Amino acid sequence: MLFGRRNKNPIRLHDKGVVEWRYTTCGYCSTGCSIEVGLDREGRPVSARGVGGADVNRGKLCLKGILEYELFRTPGRGAHPLMRAHRTEPFRRVSWDEALDRVAEEIKRIQARYGRDAFAIVSTGQIMTEEFYTLGKLARGVIGTNNYDGNTTLCMSSAVSGYKRSFGSDGPPGCYEDFEHTGCLIAVGSNLPEQHPVIYWRMREARERRGFPLIVIDPRVTMLAQQADLHLAIRPGTDVVLFNALAHVVLKEGLADMDYVRRHTTGFDEFAAEIERWDPDRAARVTGIDADTIRHVARTFGQAPAAMVIWTMGINQSTHGSDGVVAINNLCLITGNVGKPGGSPLSITGQCNAMGTREWSSCSGLPGYRLLENPAHREEIARFWGVDPEFFPKRRGMFMTDIFPAIETGRVKGLWLIATNPMTSMPNTERIRRTLEKLEFLVVQDAYEDVETNQYSHVYLPAALWAEKEGVFTNTERRVNLIRNVCPPYGESKPDLWIFNQIARRFEQGRRMRFPETPRQVFEEMKQLSRGRLVDISGMSYERIEAQRGIQWPCPEGQEKGSPRLYTDGRFQHPDGKAKLIPLPWEDDNERPDEEYPFWLNTGRVVEHFHTRTRTGKIGNLNRFSPTPYMEMNPDAARELGIEHMSYARVTSRRGDAVVLVQLTHRVPRDMVFIPFHFHDCVNRLTLGLLDPHSRQPAYKQCAVRVEPAPDQEAAARRNAAARAY
Amino acid sequence: MQQPRPDEPDYAFLPRRPAPERSRWGTPIELARPEDPVAREPLRINGRESRSDNPDRYRQHGFYFNADNCIGCHACETACAEKNGLPPYLAYRSVGYVEGGTWPAYRRINISMACNHCENPVCLKGCPTRAYTKYAEYGAVLQDPDICFGCGYCTWVCPYNAPQLDLERGHVHKCNMCIDRLEAGLKPACVAACLGGALDFGVIETVPENRVQCEAAIPGFPDPAITRPNIRFQQAASTPDELARPDSVPVRYVRETPGQGEHRPRPDPLKLSRRRGWGLGRLRSREDPLVVFTLATQLVVGAFLALFLGERLGLPGLGAAEALRHGLLAGLFALQTLAIALSTLHLGRPHRFYRAFNNLRWSPVSREVASLAVFYNLMGGYMVLELFPAVAAWLPAGWGAALREGLGWAATLAGPATLWFMHRIYRIPARPFWNHWQVLTAFYGSALVLGPLAVLAAWALAAAAGLAPSVPGPAQSMLGLAALAGLGLEGFGLWRHARAMRREGGLGTAAHLEQTTRFGWTYLARNGALVLAAGLVATLAWMAPTGAAAAAGWTAALFLAGAAELVGRALFYVLVIPTTMPGAFFWKNPGFQDHARAVGLARMPQVGVLERTH
Repeated sequence: MLFGRRNKNPIRLHDKGVVEWRYTTCGYCSTGCSIEVGLDREGRPVSARGVGGADVNRGKLCLKGILEYELFRTPGRGAHPLMRAHRTEPFRRVSWDEALDRVAEEIKRIQARYGRDAFAIVSTGQIMTEEFYTLGKLARGVIGTNNYDGNTTLCMSSAVSGYKRSFGSDGPPGCYEDFEHTGCLIAVGSNLPEQHPVIYWRMREARERRGFPLIVIDPRVTMLAQQADLHLAIRPGTDVVLFNALAHVVLKEGLADMDYVRRHTTGFDEFAAEIERWDPDRAARVTGIDADTIRHVARTFGQAPAAMVIWTMGINQSTHGSDGVVAINNLCLITGNVGKPGGSPLSITGQCNAMGTREWSSCSGLPGYRLLENPAHREEIARFWGVDPEFFPKRRGMFMTDIFPAIETGRVKGLWLIATNPMTSMPNTERIRRTLEKLEFLVVQDAYEDVETNQYSHVYLPAALWAEKEGVFTNTERRVNLIRNVCPPYGESKPDLWIFNQIARRFEQGRRMRFPETPRQVFEEMKQLSRGRLVDISGMSYERIEAQRGIQWPCPEGQEKGSPRLYTDGRFQHPDGKAKLIPLPWEDDNERPDEEYPFWLNTGRVVEHFHTRTRTGKIGNLNRFSPTPYMEMNPDAARELGIEHMSYARVTSRRGDAVVLVQLTHRVPRDMVFIPFHFHDCVNRLTLGLLDPHSRQPAYKQCAVRVEPAPDQEAAARRNAAARAY
Repeated sequence: MQQPRPDEPDYAFLPRRPAPERSRWGTPIELARPEDPVAREPLRINGRESRSDNPDRYRQHGFYFNADNCIGCHACETACAEKNGLPPYLAYRSVGYVEGGTWPAYRRINISMACNHCENPVCLKGCPTRAYTKYAEYGAVLQDPDICFGCGYCTWVCPYNAPQLDLERGHVHKCNMCIDRLEAGLKPACVAACLGGALDFGVIETVPENRVQCEAAIPGFPDPAITRPNIRFQQAASTPDELARPDSVPVRYVRETPGQGEHRPRPDPLKLSRRRGWGLGRLRSREDPLVVFTLATQLVVGAFLALFLGERLGLPGLGAAEALRHGLLAGLFALQTLAIALSTLHLGRPHRFYRAFNNLRWSPVSREVASLAVFYNLMGGYMVLELFPAVAAWLPAGWGAALREGLGWAATLAGPATLWFMHRIYRIPARPFWNHWQVLTAFYGSALVLGPLAVLAAWALAAAAGLAPSVPGPAQSMLGLAALAGLGLEGFGLWRHARAMRREGGLGTAAHLEQTTRFGWTYLARNGALVLAAGLVATLAWMAPTGAAAAAGWTAALFLAGAAELVGRALFYVLVIPTTMPGAFFWKNPGFQDHARAVGLARMPQVGVLERTH
């Protein structure tokens, strides 16, 4: 009977009826996985799968990618442009022309009345590179505001800044293939299994084949820390000291590649003098990592034939973020681990196209890693665009994190937000609320009408999402990959490129310039501008990109394939062609736990969510894994305070308070709590976000809080539930 | 039918490895020989005939889980949800975890678990509708939602929470081993999606490349002896001696000897209520209809026996009280009808009720239902002939009475048999709190208590109203003694059950501790009510009151005993802790699910908690 199937029905399995698979690139993180979206007979996206032959993901996807086809029917999308005279009024539905006219008029009005820089633009890392380039042209060449930045300031600007300081240019020098060659991997402030699961898979497969040591530096016992050969549970904000001490041991024990240092770097003497001060014993007192372990790690790194360091927000989101990146670069430079297989300081980027905005959006300069500060660059771009070079500012303007305080004090009166949600993502939510209230004009351009920042807007422009459009993304390893259009935009929403072009047309200067209609035409324009630059994409085309499943720049015309690594010849982008070794004195400038606020507050990502949850919070098969915020807390600390597992706690900082469900776990030390950053009206009500002096990136991961049981559990539960619109 | 992708990577294809002939349980891994008729049949999947040429097609396959490597990235669960088009509130595969140690010497062990396509598929055996089939192809245990009527019994017996009762759709569905992918030479979708190097698949007892162990269990995994599951494990990294679950289930896993041996489930004092409470809010459950159904059936069986045997054995006064007997018979029949209706409506798809008889060979549910149907019809026939003898007037003289007697005697056998099969339903190894002979004493006990007391109360009330002759003293004593015996039986069972649960040490102990803490006052009140009921019954049986006193006394006794039974039965259903796999902090955490329903988070479908619970 067990096996007999007489009189049984045929087997029926769920069948999605996919008739066509369409190639695209994932729109969540910067790993850059190639995805195929399956369309059914009616052309509806019903399935997704990894592309088997794509080098990045080799057929794999993380959970967000697996369900990315569901994005197209997530609730909360904007179907029509919306407008209102004041933010306290209800929105009314308007035509695109009416909305765009109003935006252009308000920009002109504000600029005429308060000056060009009184209108600010803050964009994103989420839209296509062609769109970034067009927005840059619009912002720099037409609108002419110098207060133009991307939300990449919240995630990658420390890496950008650190790379620029050390190597003379942005651009991660390594690639995923380095895992196949490395002899030692240090992961600092990077939790691959949670943040970049497919990169983790690449790393793990390589490690299973070759067995190189994995050293994880993180105050929490993350899954990566658990998989590591050595876990250094560092004191928050002291990474620079640790890396100084590692360099100290490397220099002291003769593990440095002095030949490389002599030929390819400058500033060694000043660097060595500073490093002399950071012996492991001194560093141990600061970092909480014992001196022997520091020596052990330094030797392991220094003796490896090739060694690499990867990092993410644990370094970047810090008051020493840029210095942290430079410290990593320093260590790699003195051991000769730049641009060689398995040897690289490789930042693991956050957003799907954070790289695209760094390269082409003109946020921090001009397209193709050109600088406003460089007269030749201004001249070149002005000529190419047909703009008076004097129209460009001589140096870059404010970062995103400085634009908001400028709004607060009335220097900036109008703001255009593109695919970013500062109401949830910026530190100190209450301050951002008050800031946004002060704007005379706010336009929110987003795929989602229910994005929290929209509560403060005067005009809402519904944007198309991901593969409703076409264009390219650049991933962490500089791989340019193609997003083919999969389905038409939702409702009346429009591709961001179309919106930028329409705005440009409403300015006289814009009408004089060329704003190509299609992404393909824009890409051709970018190719021309990239010729001879570090970020050379002139050898690429949409067809070639798709055929190769992504191409790594530089790929000059005539070169068949991309380049896996930068600086392989030891020539860097500083004018002298050398990299800089930069001494890093360290000063403790964090808000540290004290008697009043005795806990470190640490923040971070969970694998099922992306950023402010406008997408993942609406996909049940993702959101169910954490539908509401929680706080990891050490059980020993909780016992003293009378806080129980699965109860609500009130967390207070010098900025505000939050209620959050407590998860007791020894994953965090006794003096630290951890709250995921994705949730609206939660952790960023508490964060301080001190700014890095170089990158202006906020230090989300270090501040002090007090924790107490929520006195009224039911009220706390209601407050938390009320904050979950999705 | 999924087919390989263009450029399908090697990792997604089924491996070919030499396998032993027999599993660790001694059963052949080859499930059908080439000459067997089944091996010549195609699989019919979604209307297509499929004939794979995989030489291992008739070998038992299974998942392999490397707990050392699992990072809890949810890719497996999500790939499964995507392929099978699953709603957010259930999953064929779930990742939970256990954790232990002290920062930074902390360790979390993630456990990804789906169906284990067992050698001894208790789901298949338990299913009354025969919705399950164990295929010779790959040894897959597949369930057909089009046959299932949504009783959910398979979800009770499965130790791994593999079958999912879908309350929205009214039926169960579960992991199908991605048999379409297997036919195409591919590993299941979850395995192909794994990013941690944790999940694998192949012929059972084969060890994937670079893996060193082939264990039958890891911490948190139920006793493999129950179902002989087709899953193998690696868990070679050293683990803390105590491992806690992040969900609300009051169980942790403890190793008796530090550093050695297996982790066994133990009550988790941190999750048990420290104060004794009533727990009344938690006393209601999805199984409420079963509380009523079982008690009503037991009352009917007990009362019918009291009436029928009482009359046959000459219980004083009963023979003369014909109107009372007739009224009671009709009442019992009506109550039983109602109880059957209630339990049928408890099904996800009540209109398929007739499939309950499909699996008499294995399923205790089928047997219970069949037995109950026999009892119900015998009792009904007896009632008709008793109330309306004219119905049999066309039969030769005396045949009608003989038929009535035959039906009655048969019903007196069928009734207790029904309760026997009913008790078998709850003897589930995956539910230690239930898996004790006390279920039998409880079921027979409540029949003995409620039946005679119902007869006595009805009789005394009828007598007080002048509708029946008063209850003679000896009748009160005899029926009272029966009820006392029932109370004694129940009490003895409860005492031994409590003792056994305290000693059991694992899930049973945890459930019993819940009983004495969170439900502590309720538990004591129930026990007190049983004792009080015994005292009252003894007093009444001894004093044999008449008139209004008898009516009031016996009615009070019935209500007191009935209330105790009701609360006891409700406790029985809500206390049981199944041997499910550990959940996570949100997903598969019963505590969070209750909370989400209470605060309204469950109203958002993407929270993954179904608002309705029945």
